[in-house]
Amino acid sequence: MTMSRQGVQPNEVIDRSTKLRFRWNGKRFSGFEGDTIASALAASGEQIFSRSMKYHRPRGILTADYWDPNLMVQVGDDPNVRAGHRLLEGGMDVRSQNAWPSLNRDIKAANRFLGRFLTAGFYYKTFMRPQWLWPTYERVLATFAPGGKIDLDTPHAYHDKRYTHPDVVVAGAGPAGIEAALAASSAGASVLLVEHEHAVGGHLRYSSDAADQADLAELRAALEASDIEVLTNSTMTGRYEDNWLGIVQRNHPVAVERLIKARAKTLVVAPGLIERPYVFEGNDRPGVITSGAARRLVNLWGIKPGERAVVFSANAEGDAAAADLERVGTEIAAVIDGRAGGRISSTTGSSRAVEAVMVAGPNGAQRIEADVLVVAAGWTAPTSLLNMAGDRPVYDPAAARFFPSDPPSIVLATGGLAGDGDLDGLRRHGADTGRLAASRAAAVRHRLQARTARAAPVNGDEPAWAPDERPPLGRDPHPELYRADTHGMVDMSEDISSKDLVAAAHEGYDSVELAKRYTTATMGPSQGKLETVNTVAAIAEARGETISEVGTTVWRPPFAPITLGALAGRMFEPVRVSSIHPWHEANNVSVIQAGQWLRPDHYGDPQAEVRNVRRNVGLIDVTPLGKLDLRGPDVPKLLSLLYVNKWMKLGIGRVRYGMMCAEDGVVLDDGVTGRLGEDHYMMSTTSSGAGGVWEWVENWLQTERPDWQVHVTPVTTAYASINVAGPKSRELMSRVCEGVGLDAEAFPYMTVRDATVAGVTGCFMWRIGFTGELSFELHVPAGHGLHVWEALMEAGSDLGVGPFGLEGQRIMRLEKGHFIVGQDTDGLTLGPSTGMGSLIKLDKDDFAGKPELAWAADRSLPMVVAIQPDDPDVVPEEAAQIVRGDTNEILGRITSSRHSPTLNRSICLGQVEPDLAAGGTKLTVLLESGERISATVIDHHAHFDPAGERLRG
Amino acid sequence: MLRVRCPAWWCIVADHRVSSDPAKSALAFESPVVCDNPASNGGGDLTLSDISSTVKWLVRAGAEGPAADLLDAQFGTSRAAAGGALVLGSRPGEWIVVGTASEVAAAVAGIDGLEEQEFCSALDWTHGRAMFRVTGASAPRMLEKVCGLDWSDHMTPDGAVVSASVALVTCDIARNDRDGVRSYLIFCDRSFGQYLFDALIDAGNEFGLSADATF
Repeated sequence: MTMSRQGVQPNEVIDRSTKLRFRWNGKRFSGFEGDTIASALAASGEQIFSRSMKYHRPRGILTADYWDPNLMVQVGDDPNVRAGHRLLEGGMDVRSQNAWPSLNRDIKAANRFLGRFLTAGFYYKTFMRPQWLWPTYERVLATFAPGGKIDLDTPHAYHDKRYTHPDVVVAGAGPAGIEAALAASSAGASVLLVEHEHAVGGHLRYSSDAADQADLAELRAALEASDIEVLTNSTMTGRYEDNWLGIVQRNHPVAVERLIKARAKTLVVAPGLIERPYVFEGNDRPGVITSGAARRLVNLWGIKPGERAVVFSANAEGDAAAADLERVGTEIAAVIDGRAGGRISSTTGSSRAVEAVMVAGPNGAQRIEADVLVVAAGWTAPTSLLNMAGDRPVYDPAAARFFPSDPPSIVLATGGLAGDGDLDGLRRHGADTGRLAASRAAAVRHRLQARTARAAPVNGDEPAWAPDERPPLGRDPHPELYRADTHGMVDMSEDISSKDLVAAAHEGYDSVELAKRYTTATMGPSQGKLETVNTVAAIAEARGETISEVGTTVWRPPFAPITLGALAGRMFEPVRVSSIHPWHEANNVSVIQAGQWLRPDHYGDPQAEVRNVRRNVGLIDVTPLGKLDLRGPDVPKLLSLLYVNKWMKLGIGRVRYGMMCAEDGVVLDDGVTGRLGEDHYMMSTTSSGAGGVWEWVENWLQTERPDWQVHVTPVTTAYASINVAGPKSRELMSRVCEGVGLDAEAFPYMTVRDATVAGVTGCFMWRIGFTGELSFELHVPAGHGLHVWEALMEAGSDLGVGPFGLEGQRIMRLEKGHFIVGQDTDGLTLGPSTGMGSLIKLDKDDFAGKPELAWAADRSLPMVVAIQPDDPDVVPEEAAQIVRGDTNEILGRITSSRHSPTLNRSICLGQVEPDLAAGGTKLTVLLESGERISATVIDHHAHFDPAGERLRG
Repeated sequence: MLRVRCPAWWCIVADHRVSSDPAKSALAFESPVVCDNPASNGGGDLTLSDISSTVKWLVRAGAEGPAADLLDAQFGTSRAAAGGALVLGSRPGEWIVVGTASEVAAAVAGIDGLEEQEFCSALDWTHGRAMFRVTGASAPRMLEKVCGLDWSDHMTPDGAVVSASVALVTCDIARNDRDGVRSYLIFCDRSFGQYLFDALIDAGNEFGLSADATF
């Protein structure tokens, strides 16, 4: 078979004035705008496009469309491209896949000689034992994996995502689908029409009938004049609950692909029919094509499929294909009429081309010389979307295909999927379906509007649910043609033959679902569109049952394979920054991502930053600290409920530390809360706990104490928060603050004051400090945060002010022995384990976690302790285990560790068994290197300034 | 802070913290957004404006009560108050009031007299929330790229207010058409402001979006 380009065809889609040059396996080729890769190659005389998966048999065009299993190629760095669908572009570098060293001479084709051993289940049976060899098997087998090559250096492409909520979505823009869309739109519905191919029209596109073309022109004009959104080259990949639809748009002008998530009020399923291959010996030999392929090649791209053809026709499409071939000069050697009992038996020829067709007859097979065999053996109803909606299609042996059964009332089928008819009949059914879909969509919309607060008001009662009064389409008789009197390929994607399926059935895999998984039939890139019914038929034959009795597999999403890029869509990765972030970026910051926050980790030398804070004064941006504005008369009760300590008598202007435990007594969060006014409090949380604590507080208020008068508002980023720490911090603050006394008596430790700072009113600050230094924690209206930060930096230049980041803060808090929830505690750490058991007031009436904490009070628990390695130069890794002597018995772990520039030694916090918690206890720490070092528990958590003299200033 | 106390009910009306219009403050209000490319890919009908300096207050009270009657914007709806402020019924028992400082003050002034009737509170949220306006016929198509809601006139008419994820950030969104042209106000936590602004620019590029920062 040698295909060739012919003269201009009346309905061709190529622009012969625009030539496109490309490469195929390194050689120069050309085609026209409008060609697919496959049509351009076929027009240039190429016959072999790929090698089959297992046996590496040469493969040529079969269906010449998206579903063609033989046309998978690599385009540049894009593997598994469907050459039957992808439009040709100038400069494309197209290469064959699954062949080595070349498509024409593929060494792996030796597999065909092993074919008798490579039966279904070969891998399962062969590579089970010995188990220890599996890694080797895996490596070897990976070299045989089919498909293209992934280039890990390929830059990430722009994949987009979109949501839409049309009243009616129509899947399939054949004549019935277009009519459905037009009718729904005319009835006032918003409509999205989705077409898998590059243009609307369905089978009319490649019809040579003038009347069909007139109809198509009329439908296209009507579509253009309508408000309907038409997506071509787009595939509806799945239908989910409540008509949630996945659609991949491949021709978006901006994105490589766009995943559309559509919520349709009603869905019209009109995908048409997919032509089914016929199973016989040599049915995968290049030169065997479907009637649809013949018609597409001739009418869309002006390609003559061969010089001499045999046409096996069991329907009108086959007859039309014969006429098309004749028109472009292909000699019709014979038309074998399947309706009249004619059958083909096999093809003969080389592995690369058909030379003759063996036609079955009463006196044995008759040989007819031909280089192309056109097969029109019947249709597969692509009921996938109906399956996904819960429908179980029913097989009709008289029509030799499946039909919809009872889909949900918001899913309607039309077109060839629903039945047969002439073009007018299909269009009428489509229009009826569109009107019904619009009517039901209006009812759904009414219901949605009525129950949605923001929606436009509805008028009147919900419209009645329209009954389905569509006159049904007929069902044309069609012979059941699945397998000839010989065996052949059922699944060309997976190289599964009818023999394999029969063998599987005989091995006991006689359920179609089991046989599918055992043989992998229908699991290739065609996703069963060409193979499912033939698979079922083969199993039915092996079991001596009917197709109805065997049933089908359930089609699940995706309808067609979908790229990971499309699924991922645009990469939304929200990040948060404080209002001071621009300053950090301009000042040599090293950023660390903490949750969604981008925070300064350090500005070059965290150890130097620590020394500066201890010696002078430093600023740290602590905006991410959670801040909850609490208002109302019942705030003290709320605080008492959520914290383990007491809150009923916190005075105005005072700040108190609190530890929050969950109901199981495990430490949940900690922080300080200040009383700003009579009924106004500000709760701070850990940075990482801000969101969770807000939910925790609201949960308690809304579900347990709805009668309490408390309003909680998260104001974390309403304020830029700056901790000013160091022995010169008071001096610095005095230069920028107005209206507030800063000395230790006027503004003592653990108090809060309103202030005007650097001219900014509405600030508040509290005297606390995580660093162990004299500290003022400023909270500035965020829109002035950068101004205040810069004012502090300027005002303190002679004081040696400098920024410090999270790393410096972590060092200083460790020097001071402050634990961090989630770092020094874990999901099992009960409140008393933190060493702050005295904070837990079991004499309170009630609080979250009280029963568990009361239970824990009488027990020995692991404890958080401060630890110093005996060798001051060794810093154990965080999470290093504390073990008993030379054994591996685990007695605890290091939870935090750093080198302290203040003490010039290593310091740690850790959790240890209760009997090791006393000061002076010697520990053994197992390092990652395997070395064991000795360390000592110290008397208190603070490695530095345990009396807190610096802190209190 | 102005606070009124009565024996049984509490009404905390106004916080002193940010009582002036940031746009008119002696100190420049620092927007959460830096607009590096003010007219990125412009040419279409779509505009994105950073209006974060707009005064915003959060009022909370009973979903059905005197404050609700006064604010007169049911959950999911908005209305222009007589003084010029826009009142958004953002959640049941929660309202966002936006405008100039004087407009907002006028809108919430009446709450001051409700103290004997119910517990309510109001706080200035200006610095805590970034605020953007997207205007243009293509605005719904742009929003479809970053938010899963139905932007049709049926489900989100002019005046509608909704809370939703926009590019994975929780936002309050109000449809607030300008001269018959689709327009949406989008509020988010200030710290997400730059990220969200950039995400909206990215979403709007294909529609010829022009972006501007008002500061």
